[in-house]
Amino acid sequence: MSARDDDELAEELRAHLRMAADERIARGEAPAEAELAARREFGNPTHVAEVTRDQRGGMWLERLLQDVRYGVRSLRRTPAFTVAAVLTLGLAIGANSSVFSVVNSVLLRPLPFPAPDQLYLASYLPPDLPFSPPPGLTDRHWLPYRDRQHSFAHVTAYNRRAGTLSGAGDAVRLTGGRVDGQFFTTIGVQPRLGRAFTRDDRDQSRVVIISDRLWRERFGADPRAIGAFATIDAVPLTIVGVMPPGFSFPASSDFWTPLDVQLDAHNSFIMSVLGRMRPGIAPEQARRELQSLMAQVPRDDRDPEAAMRADILPLKRVVTGDVSTSLLIFSGAVAFVLLIACVNVANLLLIRAASRRREMAVRVALGASRGRITRQLLTESALVGTAGGALGILLAFSGVRALLAIAPKGRIPRVDEVHVDGRVLAVTIAVSLLCGVAFGLVPALQSARRRPQEAMAGGGRSVSGSHGRLRGSLVAAEVALALVLLTGAGLMIKSFLRTREAEKGYDPRHVMTMTVDLPTQRYADARAQRAFHSRMLSELARLPGVRSVGSVTFKPMTDVGMMGDFVVEGTSPTPHGYGLDKILVSPGYFATMGVRLLRGRDFSEADNASASDVVIVSESVARRVWPGADAVGKRVAMVDDPKPDQWMTVVGVVADVAQDRSMDRHSAMYFPYAQSDWTFILGHMTYVVRMEGDGGEASIAPAMRSVLRSVDVTVPAQRLQSMDDALLDAVADPLFQTRLLAAFSLIAMVLAAIGTYGVLAYDVAERSREIALRMALGARPADVIGMVLRRTTVLAVSGAVMGIAAALALTRVLEKSLYAVTPHDPATILLVAAVILGVALLAGFVPARRASRVSVLTALPSD
Amino acid sequence: MASKRGLSRIELLQGTLDMIILQTLRWGPRHGYGIAQMIRANSRETLQVETGSLYPALHRLAKQGWISADWDVSDNGQRVRVYTLTAAGRKQLASERSRWEQMAHAIGAILNPPAERET
Repeated sequence: MSARDDDELAEELRAHLRMAADERIARGEAPAEAELAARREFGNPTHVAEVTRDQRGGMWLERLLQDVRYGVRSLRRTPAFTVAAVLTLGLAIGANSSVFSVVNSVLLRPLPFPAPDQLYLASYLPPDLPFSPPPGLTDRHWLPYRDRQHSFAHVTAYNRRAGTLSGAGDAVRLTGGRVDGQFFTTIGVQPRLGRAFTRDDRDQSRVVIISDRLWRERFGADPRAIGAFATIDAVPLTIVGVMPPGFSFPASSDFWTPLDVQLDAHNSFIMSVLGRMRPGIAPEQARRELQSLMAQVPRDDRDPEAAMRADILPLKRVVTGDVSTSLLIFSGAVAFVLLIACVNVANLLLIRAASRRREMAVRVALGASRGRITRQLLTESALVGTAGGALGILLAFSGVRALLAIAPKGRIPRVDEVHVDGRVLAVTIAVSLLCGVAFGLVPALQSARRRPQEAMAGGGRSVSGSHGRLRGSLVAAEVALALVLLTGAGLMIKSFLRTREAEKGYDPRHVMTMTVDLPTQRYADARAQRAFHSRMLSELARLPGVRSVGSVTFKPMTDVGMMGDFVVEGTSPTPHGYGLDKILVSPGYFATMGVRLLRGRDFSEADNASASDVVIVSESVARRVWPGADAVGKRVAMVDDPKPDQWMTVVGVVADVAQDRSMDRHSAMYFPYAQSDWTFILGHMTYVVRMEGDGGEASIAPAMRSVLRSVDVTVPAQRLQSMDDALLDAVADPLFQTRLLAAFSLIAMVLAAIGTYGVLAYDVAERSREIALRMALGARPADVIGMVLRRTTVLAVSGAVMGIAAALALTRVLEKSLYAVTPHDPATILLVAAVILGVALLAGFVPARRASRVSVLTALPSD
Repeated sequence: MASKRGLSRIELLQGTLDMIILQTLRWGPRHGYGIAQMIRANSRETLQVETGSLYPALHRLAKQGWISADWDVSDNGQRVRVYTLTAAGRKQLASERSRWEQMAHAIGAILNPPAERET
């Protein structure tokens, strides 16, 4: 259509010329002269056509199409530039949007409840012990709070629980929630089928609400499941409701049973408290109300809450808390990569603009307006940006899948909700277009501003000082950015290696574990639980290839555990907040797990319920509580004002063990399970088996399972895991982060190297005449190489200095993720700087060598 | 022509050229060359419209709907684009004329104050 308009305009103008000439001929002029005169009078037809075209409506679209067509053509003429720029941007944008998708899904997107920002947890917070999620309130505090608070429209109390679902199909271990009648109203999600709980539903009501997943997998998505039975922990419960898909709060729950809180004067228990804030209430108001109501509850010094303070916390922060630091680190890393990519593309565009100075000058001389040329160049860079963005989006889809694949299982919350979504695409496209346009602007303006005579006279060989400086500082910036990323990756790698080498206090090799949760109905008291464990241990010890067996309530490298304090005979109570791990073990556990016995003796079969109570402490406890004295023979108690038979004698001292994923070795106190009445932890036990020599772990797993079946067929094995795997699992997070950061910094380094190479190669090309002249005057190739490498060194060193300064300022965000490495580790920073300088010199060496081979004959007579 | 140069080269303000074109088309449809010729003749050779101004003006006016453009065949068999004044163009011309007259009157009053004219 536009082409037709152009043809018509041309025809109109031709007719005009023809008529003017005809008229002159009619007046008697010679045809040739008449034509010439008419033409002179008419002026420049191209110019007339151009200014006329400017008047036409819808011009911008047509011109845009024209610019795009022209841009595509000219980009195709320089495939090296185009491929380099598009790939650079595409890689960076792909990495950017895949990580942004994960960040977006986890951090930015609200919880899958209505108005999740109104949901707050009310809880006592420990002064220093790291509890996550926060413990909550006790019944003594919850009941008055529930009845008297006004800040929240609804408040609910709930607990996490576990249960074994039996019946059709294999018995499975499920996580669930014990929730009160206000739970679903507070969260704002109602069952899709059946009903929610009411205040009339009691612990003993024997009703259950199940998740959509469970409904599909175990009940065939049959609506008649309402009213049917689900057998959990050997108790048949009536299904009264099915939740909508995706609802699994708290913590991947598949079933919910009623919780009715009653005041228990002897034994208060702690539950999570969640409230939906009334509109118009400030969090500060709710906090003050909670604290003043808590202050009215009569104090009981035995309560651990005595040393704690009550507070409210946004639910969202608690749910995403663990991973937010690492996600923010990755967003930063990815932003750096994108910046480097943009700098690279800017450099490429600058170089391209410089080499097209003559083309532009010719176009200006031929009457193209400056605005038109600027628009043309901007269109080209926007095209590069768009193509890069499109490639980036493609890469993003596979990137998200790759990220989730290398992410440790179950460590990214709400993992099924992670996908590339519209907002991510919008951000990505905006970033890529902005990159193209912003960095296209400088060269475009420079091209348009230059006077044609200047550029033409320069013959494309003038060395433009300001250009050179701008390119140089862009290279330095790239080096600096890459150095920051590499430093981060270096620190993470060093920290990861230190984690692996760290002394953990036990020997993971050839050790297999099996964890079991005893159903509370079947194993209601401590005696039954102890009998079960004793049978298991003796059966396991009979398996072939087994050197020793033991059992432990909380095996190393797990995040669950029990902490508490204790009373020491003859001294005042231990300082407030001095908590240690309290762990029940069997005789032989230490030898089986490879925990060194430093003093005294291990537990024996004689340390049973009828013998006097004994404990084993870890070395740091012995040092702290009995400095300079022998801990063996001292006495401790777990209750205040112990009666004579409540004292326990220390019989041994063992090494500190890295009990959780932090790899820090804990203070611990061990008790023989045979002397324990703590039913709530006796029901959760891990059996540990040490094999004779290599390779037995895999084959022993089925044998351990069949032992369990032979002891009680209704008890499922919750988990079978070798200690090597447990260790790998524990370092999965840092490994994931380290790998990601390493990948990013490699991309950054490659991009920086490409950028350095590009700029130096262009410098050399631009100065080929000067270099040839120098060589004609006697410079040796080595001198030329030295000259180019000197420039490289100047750029790289100034970049490295900036980078080190930035790294010192920025790596602090890694502090929490580092183990036994400071964020300012000089060795890492120096090593990284050396690597970067090496890579930059390498990138400079290629053009340097080319420069040294410049032929005097070809370079000098050009033009 | 050369001798007239000093006199004939009067730069036309954009709005003025538009008005003159509309006025010219009141005599009937014309092609671009004809319009240029007619302006030159009617201004006694004083106003010589540059093609680089004429065609942009024609296309601008056509876009605004004040004139319409159609293809026709000229006397010597050449295809030419012919411009016609539209009803909207007539209205526009009337309003521009009255504005122009007011301005001409005002400028005239400034350049030739009544006292001076008396002398």
